[in-house]
Amino acid sequence: MNGPYFLSLLVFSPLLGILLLALTPKTQERTIKWLGFLSTLPSLILSLFAFCQYLRGYRLEHLTEKRGWVRFADFPFLTESTFVVRYELNIDGISLVMIVLTSLLAALAAIASIHIKKEWKGYFMLFLLLEIGMLGVFAAGNMVLFFIFLEMTLVAMFFLIGKWGGFERERAAYSYLLYNGVGSAVLLMVIAILFARTGTSNMELLKEMLHNPAVRAQLIAPISDDLRFSLFLALLVAFGIKLPIVPFHRWILRVHVQAPPAIVMLHSGVLLKIGAYGLIRFAIGLFPDQFRDFAFIIAILGVVNLLYGAFLAFIQNDFKMVLAYSSVSHMGIVLIGLGALNEAGMQGAIFQAVSHGLISALLFLLVSILFERTNTTEMDRLGGLAKAMPLTAGSLLAGALASLGLPGMSGFVSEFTAFFGLFQTAPAVAAAGTLGIIMTAVYLLRAVLNITFGTSKSGGAQAFDMSLTEAVPVFVLLALIIMIGVYPRILAEPLQAAIKMMMNGLGA
Amino acid sequence: MSSVPLSAYLVLALILFCIGLYGALTKRNIVVVLICIELMLNAVNINLVAFAKYGAHPGITGQVFALFTIAVAAAEAAVGLAVLIALYRNRKTVHIDEIDSMKH
Amino acid sequence: MMEMAWIVPLFPLLSFFILLLAGKKMKEASAYVGMLATFVSFLAACAVLVDRIGASTYKAEQVWLTAGRAKWTVGFEVTALNAWMLVVVSLVSFLVHMYAKGYMRGDERFSVFYAYLGLFTFAMLGLVLSPNLLQTYMFWELVGLGSFLLIGFYFYKEEAKAAAKKAFIMTRVGDVGFFIGMILLFSQVGSFEYEDIFKAVQDGTLSPALATLTAVLIFIGAVGKSGQFPLHTWLPDAMAGPTPVSALIHAATMVAAGVYLVAALFPLFEASAVAMRTVAVVGGFTAIFAASIALVQTDIKRVLAYSTVSQLGYMMLALGSGSDVAAIFHLTTHAFFKALLFLAAGSVIHAVGTQDIEKMGGLWRKMPLTAAMFLVGALAISGVPFLSGFFSKDEILVAAWTYGYGGLFWIAVAASFFTAFYMFRLFFLVFGGKERHDVKDVHESPAVMMLPMLVLAVLAVVSGYIHTPWFGTFLGDWLTDGGYAHEATPVWIMIVAAIVSMLGIFLAWLMYGKRSLARDWLSSRVPFMYSMLWNKYYIDEFYAWTVGCAVNAISRLCYYADRFVIEGIASLIAAAVNTAASFGARVQNGQVQTYGAVAFIGLALLVVILAFTGGYL
Repeated sequence: MNGPYFLSLLVFSPLLGILLLALTPKTQERTIKWLGFLSTLPSLILSLFAFCQYLRGYRLEHLTEKRGWVRFADFPFLTESTFVVRYELNIDGISLVMIVLTSLLAALAAIASIHIKKEWKGYFMLFLLLEIGMLGVFAAGNMVLFFIFLEMTLVAMFFLIGKWGGFERERAAYSYLLYNGVGSAVLLMVIAILFARTGTSNMELLKEMLHNPAVRAQLIAPISDDLRFSLFLALLVAFGIKLPIVPFHRWILRVHVQAPPAIVMLHSGVLLKIGAYGLIRFAIGLFPDQFRDFAFIIAILGVVNLLYGAFLAFIQNDFKMVLAYSSVSHMGIVLIGLGALNEAGMQGAIFQAVSHGLISALLFLLVSILFERTNTTEMDRLGGLAKAMPLTAGSLLAGALASLGLPGMSGFVSEFTAFFGLFQTAPAVAAAGTLGIIMTAVYLLRAVLNITFGTSKSGGAQAFDMSLTEAVPVFVLLALIIMIGVYPRILAEPLQAAIKMMMNGLGA
Repeated sequence: MSSVPLSAYLVLALILFCIGLYGALTKRNIVVVLICIELMLNAVNINLVAFAKYGAHPGITGQVFALFTIAVAAAEAAVGLAVLIALYRNRKTVHIDEIDSMKH
Repeated sequence: MMEMAWIVPLFPLLSFFILLLAGKKMKEASAYVGMLATFVSFLAACAVLVDRIGASTYKAEQVWLTAGRAKWTVGFEVTALNAWMLVVVSLVSFLVHMYAKGYMRGDERFSVFYAYLGLFTFAMLGLVLSPNLLQTYMFWELVGLGSFLLIGFYFYKEEAKAAAKKAFIMTRVGDVGFFIGMILLFSQVGSFEYEDIFKAVQDGTLSPALATLTAVLIFIGAVGKSGQFPLHTWLPDAMAGPTPVSALIHAATMVAAGVYLVAALFPLFEASAVAMRTVAVVGGFTAIFAASIALVQTDIKRVLAYSTVSQLGYMMLALGSGSDVAAIFHLTTHAFFKALLFLAAGSVIHAVGTQDIEKMGGLWRKMPLTAAMFLVGALAISGVPFLSGFFSKDEILVAAWTYGYGGLFWIAVAASFFTAFYMFRLFFLVFGGKERHDVKDVHESPAVMMLPMLVLAVLAVVSGYIHTPWFGTFLGDWLTDGGYAHEATPVWIMIVAAIVSMLGIFLAWLMYGKRSLARDWLSSRVPFMYSMLWNKYYIDEFYAWTVGCAVNAISRLCYYADRFVIEGIASLIAAAVNTAASFGARVQNGQVQTYGAVAFIGLALLVVILAFTGGYL
């Protein structure tokens, strides 16, 4: 792999697609859809290639890129890195896994986007912009670049929801923009304060400056413990809005219901994980002591998420709302894993991030298939679909079983590992959380069985089953979910080194 | 001739300026507002000339500047009156508080 | 062969995949695929069993996942217990596969049915081979999945859908106990492996308090899976599935998984007297509780379902009383005669088209072979001497008597009386008397359905002789690897059991056979008791009122909190911003003079501040 350019190539490869799309006339539906899908492939191939190389022992440090960009001050007494923002990309095990997930889901979502009905050119250009943003977030080497890519996803999502969404799409788009905008503003504040006090936004350097006593002398201005705690809380709020942590979750409900299902695949599959990734990289990476003190509360927040989401999903009538609350609930497991403060917990959290990404992408893919046929996702208007659409119904059931943590699928591995981790440190909280395992089964089975089993209601009688184009992504996702469930080491091994490093920071 | 202290001129200018400012901000009739603006400009003129004679560096600079001000005031009055006439022809009013189409 | 024991579950799994992919084209031929797979598994299981004779436990494992310092492995082990279980499970599965070929003929999802059967068999065999708790849990849940799919096979029926959901969720409630117990055990022992746990129990690293806690938690899992009180209500509802499913899963194998788990973890349970007592009491209570409900039910499959719950209670009673041999013995004999009873009932249902025993009768003449086999099964379960049930039940009664706690022995005897009574009530109402049905052409089932029943009938008679005080305690020796203590069995227990069974049969004959005693002789005198029994002690209604209402209430509460409190706060913030904005917007009133005034005031303020602070802020 060509070290100095590989990551930039990976992150910006959809740009080629954007340029080609810009040249295509906007009425050529088929060309645009094919072009959109093909543009997601280069990043997929590159990320899979990197993943395989990493499994074989390639050291990811070789991929680090650093280029000069912005220089704020030029005083001679400052070191070379002070008040400088470089263009730097680097990845470790965790980011690599997330990048593979992103590129995969983007490719599959591009296939699912065949159901988009208008203005395909603008849609795919924004879609590819969103993909660049998502890939960049995980590859960013400093906080400023992270923030820029994050805002890129924000803007792209705003338009994607607001233009191609459902009936109340504008409201959903504004809700999304406001909530996430506030989160980004808080994050920007943190970045600015850190930058002013340490002179850098580079993540490694920040870590050094915040913890290494020898380097502390180089700080521009001192960072007191109170300030650290406030910054930590601010980060928690910023990423908590994205994750989402109850009570910041209201926006996700609107987005999941109103946005086009292909976009929700990406949103639920990747964008929510940016919240988790941010917590791991920044909250734990930069402020481990504060995190350690706060871990118990984070575990409790996780259990609250898990139970609150589950109980609310139980009484919903719209299947998309069930899935929205299900996302809230499952991200609670990520928090449970993080709050456990041990390797098992963190591994469980990252596993859950990946697993939930795949599972919710699968479920929303099936929702898009369903919606195309029956034009509704209200459960009291659906029913008995297993008769007319056995393959779709079977996949829906499989997706629900994966989501409720059936062994043999990835959901079980992540759930089990996260709970295992929490039981070692806070068994009472974990025991309370296991109620969530039951409730998850309850609401998922209620929802899916209402749609697939039972007597046929008005909607399902005429429906026809999945076409080949729709079936391929469904089976790819199912295969991946089962593969990770049966052979989890394929995911666990790349994460080992990165998790160990994180835990060193926490233990120290 | 007994010398009038500098402060007297400045106070006069101040009073004139304040009267002009008050009128510009509170009077209803646009013509009166324009007149008050002229008043403010003239107050400035008095200030300039006073400092030209009694200031730290007496010279002719202040008087020259006063000539500039007079020219500018005249031009501004012409334009202002032209705008006023156009406004009147359009809105049939010379009351300044009725012209608020730039409201939020 | 022991090293290759891992292939035993693979054949049914293979049949699952083949049938899933190509089943639609194979249609009726799918049965042969399923039957071949289970038959090969059965042969392999026998080979493993034979290989194990005289040898010691074989174990193989591989790392599955590491989490920090914890290392989790998957593998298999061949102990005396699970070699035996492999044979029993694969045999019954094979026979049910054969039977279903006739029973499910003509169903348009024939191949799907066999695929699910294959999946279930794979999961059950895998469960039995597991060497550690984590793997057991994984297969445990997969077994639950198989059961769910098969109960809900007739998915277009609302009751099947409800029953499948109920089964899954109720067993999941139990599974949570298993989950917690398992993890707590790991935190103390450092491993999920059975042998490590037993070593910790022996060494004393596992404190008695923790042993009690984890044993009870794991037992909760067994309670769910084996349908013990209070998690029993799913089992009777599960009868909504096809009868071969009821025979395989809800009589012989899956429900036995709970018993198997406690037996496999027996050293852990033995370490805690409290846990043993809990198991015994729950088992004993369930035995008589379910038997009493079975006394008055009118659906043939429901009677058999409650009978299963009751017999499982017996097995738990045996375990709690300290005799895992008795429990496994009864598990084996029960698998045979209960499967037989279900298959025979399936034959009847197939012929008559109804499950209501009030609408049957006089089938002795029309279906003599089925009736004979049902009779054999009924005699076996009632504990009539010389049949298998007699010996296995006797072992349990001996164990209960030796344990001597709280009259459990007498409860077991009473339940035995009930068992004989309701089984023969069933027999006489279905096969005896006048014909009360209106089906014209009632005939025997085809050979493919009769053959498995015949095999099971033979087994129901002879399987008792693997462990008797007269001919040799082969099973006991086998299970304990030669360390079985041959206590002298008090003969009077055998006599009491025999008499009680005969009494039960006699009473049933009086009421339903000869009709010399009125049917409602007892029930009319205690109508309250009768309606309690008929309504299954209103447990389902109780659950709906408490758990169902509680969950709904919490959900509603969360909903209102979400919509009004959280959304309210967000809306409040938005409204506050709006108000502030509209307040500020009043400055923009379009009046030039206002703008001028504001500018001037601002300038004045700046000048004053400048004057006071002398330059910079």
